[in-house]
Amino acid sequence: MTELRELARKLLSDGQVKVVIGYEEGPRGVRPLFATDGAAADRLIFDERCVQNLATYLDRRRVHVARLGKPAIVAKPCDVKAVAGLLRETQLKREDVVIIGVRCGGVLADPKSLQRLGPDTMADRCRTCETREPGLVDYLVGPMPEAVRGQSGRDAKIAELDAMTPEERWSFWQKELSRCTRCQACRQVCPLCYCDRCMADKTEPQWIESSPHPRGILAWHLIRAIHLAGRCVDCGECERACPVSIPLGLITRKVAQVVAQRFQHHPTDDPSVPSPIGTWRSDDPQEFIL
Amino acid sequence: MARIGVFVCHCGENIGRTVDCHAVAEALAQVPGVVHAVDYKYMCSDPGQQLIKAAVAEKGLTGVVVAACSPHMHEKTFRRAVQSVGLNPFLCEMANIREHCSWIHEDRAKATEKAIDLARMMVEKVKRNVALSTVRIPVTRRALVIGGGIAGIQAALDIADGGAEVVLVEKEPSIGGHMSQLSETFPTLDCSQCILTPRMVEVYQHPRIKLLTYSEVEAVEGYIGNFRVTIRKKARGIDESKCNGCGACIKACPNKRIPSEFDCGLGKRTAIYVPFPQAVPNIPVIDRQRCTLHIARSKGKKDACMKCSEACQRGAIDFNQQDTLVTEEVGAIIVATGYQLYSIGRDQPKEYLKGYGEYGYGTIPDVIDGLQFERLASASGPTAGKILRPSDNKEPKTVVFLQCIGSRDPAKGIEYCSKICCMYVAKHAMLYRHKVHDGRVVVFYMDIRAAGKGYDEFTRRAIEEEGAEYIRGRVTRLYRDGDVIKVQGFDTLSGSPITIDADMVVLATAVRPQPGIDALAQKLSVSYDRHGFIVEAHPKLRPVETNTAGVYVAGACQAPRDIPDSVAMASAAASKVLGLFSHEMLEREPTVARVDESVCAGCFHCERVCPYGAIRHKEIKDKTGKVIRVVAEVNPGVCQGCGTCQATCPSKSIELQGFTDAQIFAQINAFVG
Amino acid sequence: MEKGNFEPRITAFVCNWCTYTGADLAGTSRLQMAPNIRIVRLPCTGRIDPVFVIKAFERGADGVIVSGCHPADCHYTAGNYHARRRFAILRELLIFMGVDPRRMTFSWVSASEGAKWRDVVNETVERVRACGPFEGWRSLGGGLT
Repeated sequence: MTELRELARKLLSDGQVKVVIGYEEGPRGVRPLFATDGAAADRLIFDERCVQNLATYLDRRRVHVARLGKPAIVAKPCDVKAVAGLLRETQLKREDVVIIGVRCGGVLADPKSLQRLGPDTMADRCRTCETREPGLVDYLVGPMPEAVRGQSGRDAKIAELDAMTPEERWSFWQKELSRCTRCQACRQVCPLCYCDRCMADKTEPQWIESSPHPRGILAWHLIRAIHLAGRCVDCGECERACPVSIPLGLITRKVAQVVAQRFQHHPTDDPSVPSPIGTWRSDDPQEFIL
Repeated sequence: MARIGVFVCHCGENIGRTVDCHAVAEALAQVPGVVHAVDYKYMCSDPGQQLIKAAVAEKGLTGVVVAACSPHMHEKTFRRAVQSVGLNPFLCEMANIREHCSWIHEDRAKATEKAIDLARMMVEKVKRNVALSTVRIPVTRRALVIGGGIAGIQAALDIADGGAEVVLVEKEPSIGGHMSQLSETFPTLDCSQCILTPRMVEVYQHPRIKLLTYSEVEAVEGYIGNFRVTIRKKARGIDESKCNGCGACIKACPNKRIPSEFDCGLGKRTAIYVPFPQAVPNIPVIDRQRCTLHIARSKGKKDACMKCSEACQRGAIDFNQQDTLVTEEVGAIIVATGYQLYSIGRDQPKEYLKGYGEYGYGTIPDVIDGLQFERLASASGPTAGKILRPSDNKEPKTVVFLQCIGSRDPAKGIEYCSKICCMYVAKHAMLYRHKVHDGRVVVFYMDIRAAGKGYDEFTRRAIEEEGAEYIRGRVTRLYRDGDVIKVQGFDTLSGSPITIDADMVVLATAVRPQPGIDALAQKLSVSYDRHGFIVEAHPKLRPVETNTAGVYVAGACQAPRDIPDSVAMASAAASKVLGLFSHEMLEREPTVARVDESVCAGCFHCERVCPYGAIRHKEIKDKTGKVIRVVAEVNPGVCQGCGTCQATCPSKSIELQGFTDAQIFAQINAFVG
Repeated sequence: MEKGNFEPRITAFVCNWCTYTGADLAGTSRLQMAPNIRIVRLPCTGRIDPVFVIKAFERGADGVIVSGCHPADCHYTAGNYHARRRFAILRELLIFMGVDPRRMTFSWVSASEGAKWRDVVNETVERVRACGPFEGWRSLGGGLT
């Protein structure tokens, strides 16, 4: 913590950055902090409750953050991959952000609980994560944590769904999606859902109905999954933000599995690695094509 | 308000027999927005077109749907018709109720129902059609021809004689290509060099042709009418402005044992050399891999030999010369890079190619290929035109020719026929017999493919008049036995095996495209098949164009080809280029993509997927000149209208005119919904 | 509705240069085929948006065909390569969300493959017929319409 706070204080006092975006202890748990002076920098923390993906504050929608000036961002390995995505997609210039990477051994599934980090209390996505140290960084802080591995309930659930009949899967998803209110929190929190005019808000033509009826709900979730294919970094924020607990992580994980298996692409924090959608190989698998 | 006119064609009986056209017209008349719906026997006929024109005028139509044959047949016809009465042609579309309906179904009720659906879908689309005007872009009236063989030379001369400037790029030190290596050409047996060299000189002297030899295309940017090409002029080591071609440097070079590429390894050359006496330009080049001085320099040692420079009276030798990069602006490009011969060796340039282990993988002495035989037969070749076998310089008395080596053999990786071999083997047989009167010629063939003008007579002459023995069958094995090569073959017409003791064997090896063609094709964004042959736009109707606008193809780089066809193709490509240059401004189809800058998020997925590089970055600035956003912008001259950008764009900020989301949405909904 | 008797409605999204022309060839050759499909012409499979397939099912299609040029033959050089990746993902995603894979056909049909187009159409119609009407998606409640 000290290391992080000192670094942040230095970056601010040197004038290298105008704001350090990180985490602090809030009255109801860990919350984002926009530290613009040394006193605020002293409140920076990092521990296994820091689930938020702060990269979302770097995207074009956050004009109020951009107004603060050049940022430094405290980022876990998955968050750094999101920053890399923004760089890859011309949303950010490398020289316009200072990346303070933190080594991470996983975060809690329930950051508000007072549990210790373990294979069963860890967020599902962390249980299969291979990246404990981000590569694309200006600074790297934090001790190298022990590898804590767990069984992924998510992967087990996906395997269970894959084994069902189409009708059973349809029923499962219609039931889960029935709770969706089209609040679009999943979109608002995602760092890569930065389009000024989302396709779901386009009315001429209205491909995706906007009301919380099953038709539009299904179309919304399908299109979002397609648009994020090969781009999603599995930060888990969409599922965390969903007020009605739709298991969005199952969808993002399934698409990521398809992309990895077919195109050998995994989310990476190397912005020079192109997205798998938008690239192709002449020998891409096509067993499903007549 | 939409006022759509629907015209349902009977096409005689073609549609009318299966589809109830009148019912279709009646059904379409009920569709909201349709103000005119009729059926007629032949819409494409003059009276048929008059019906449309009259309706446009009288009913103030805002769009027209002709339910008839495929748009590939008559879309242009009907668009011209509506344009003539003042309706934008892109407000007219066709519903295909013939090829896609009446001709493929028998049930009248179902076919009629489908025809109604197809027409209705098109009406819903056309309601969202927008008037589009042709895109006009400027044209640079200069052409680039890549490859200085006979095809490249012909194309360059035709374009230059047509009044436009040409840049001709050739990677070898001289133009002429493989034709300059030939001794005589079929079917006339005239001397190859004699008919070629005047053309080569004409190229060299032509005021409108800029000749860049020993040069290669490095990069290509731009689009039709507006290409910018970077060419690497490799360092010859000679100051071309000073050299007068006297050849003193070549005489002085002590390094005389280098296998000559021009002689296919059968002759020798010096390190500073001109590939052949009639080379154009007649300026030598220093082979830096073999030159003593350059080898020493590459090891950090001092300059060991400077004999050529000392012999040169004009100080034209420049050991320090570097490659230079030249940029040329051109409006059209012709690819004419020609061919190379397949080798039977163990090491192959592509993993799907196999060599001929049964023929010794090219290690048996006196087993040569067709170009090597040409060099032996050439008066200016390594044996001064005498047929002498490479191993001991003796005159072979029995020469066996094998056709179809590699060609027509999927096991070796080449499924196609190389077209020219039957003819040149007959030619070689005759040349040999002319020079060795008591020689025996045997030809192993599968078929004789002699389809050109005078070709069959030519092969007949070899067999009937010149005494060549043609055996129908393949050779299973070649091996050396003392002084002879055992040729083990099979005569299928007599049904028995046959072994011949040959003094020399000549293999008619397959014709393949030049090495490096894949990389060049990628630079030009043209398609090529797995062998590397450039793919034409349409195999029958557009043989000299590629699918990349502004890039044309001529000669053997597209498929195995003989000299007359290569010349014809080159002239055809030249005519396409001159046709392109005849326009003040180039007209492009307006069905191109367009970006809505107000919603573009500047992610540039579109730029990444565009096959033509038609997307550029556009800075949006505020009043003080500060860049506030960067958005995508489409170059309408380059965009070919595939729409991949739109399907990839997450916010759908880019729309392909003529196939917009609104139009497709309406079509989908019109059927099911 | 009995599965065996119903006539599936199938929307086909095809590219202009290959499959549309191949379908024209099937017509010129008078190759008879099932009348259940309606073709939407696009310039290239690259233009085919996953949302087209979604909208077709939403609106009542029982099956969908997406067809274009063989790899390396795309008139626009690379559109079908992008489509191939895009549809590999869409297909797996739709299957995951509960769409019967038999309802979707993806094919490469060239301008010279009229017979292949006929086979693709007939085979798809029978396959979708065996699935029955796609009531599930069509019957999802919507907003105003």
